[in-house]
Amino acid sequence: MKDETKLIIPSDPARLEEVDAFAERWMDGMPFSEDQRYDIAISLSEAVNNAIEHGNAGDASKKVTIILTPIDGGIHIKVSDEGGGFNPESVADPTEPANLLSESGRGLLIISHLMDEVKVEPCKAGTCIELVKRFSSSKAS
Amino acid sequence: MKLKSERHGSVVVLELRGKVMGGPDATVFRDELKKHLDDGIRKVVVDLGKVDWMNSSGLGILIGGLTTVKNLSGEMKLARTTDKIQSLLMITKLVQVFDTHDSVESAIASFSE
Repeated sequence: MKDETKLIIPSDPARLEEVDAFAERWMDGMPFSEDQRYDIAISLSEAVNNAIEHGNAGDASKKVTIILTPIDGGIHIKVSDEGGGFNPESVADPTEPANLLSESGRGLLIISHLMDEVKVEPCKAGTCIELVKRFSSSKAS
Repeated sequence: MKLKSERHGSVVVLELRGKVMGGPDATVFRDELKKHLDDGIRKVVVDLGKVDWMNSSGLGILIGGLTTVKNLSGEMKLARTTDKIQSLLMITKLVQVFDTHDSVESAIASFSE
């Protein structure tokens, strides 16, 4: 089994490609289908975007930490920020007709459709999003 | 993300490639779209056939483009949405917002005269 791995980046959306490449390299050799890999890549990018924009409010001096951990039958992803806390309940339903033309606010909705487990909660420095994807997952975009 | 544009008469086709994940991608798309709108183009097709995957920021880029074009009384259509993107449009109910076509040709042909 692979070792746990960690990446720490500043709150800069331009670093998303680096996060994607980091996760893709680490997952190499794991028995995920191509669709499942896309689901993980999309969800990880959503979680990191969320941490940068909402958690750390774009403050580049604050960091985003990504930890990838192999678990029995899949992977666990933890993304944490250093912001003042983020309440997922405060996000307006993006599927309501009045919100359909909003340019943001769909990240958690998409993650919840693609990943097997999603948990958002306060953690030591800010907010943590924890995600699980199983090799046997039938959830897919 | 990579972006290539091609004029077909009064229509511009913006072809996106790779991973559309926000950040600098939004600026690239907005600037290219603005260039064509400044030239008087009001019919826009976004070809998504070569997109590997797109996240919610990518969807936000498309919504921003649609709003900009509509505010100028223009039309923007999506062509060759992959199964993955079509699924995201379903999840987010954006199928109600975007006019999607199986091919670039049918998207171009669908514009009102």
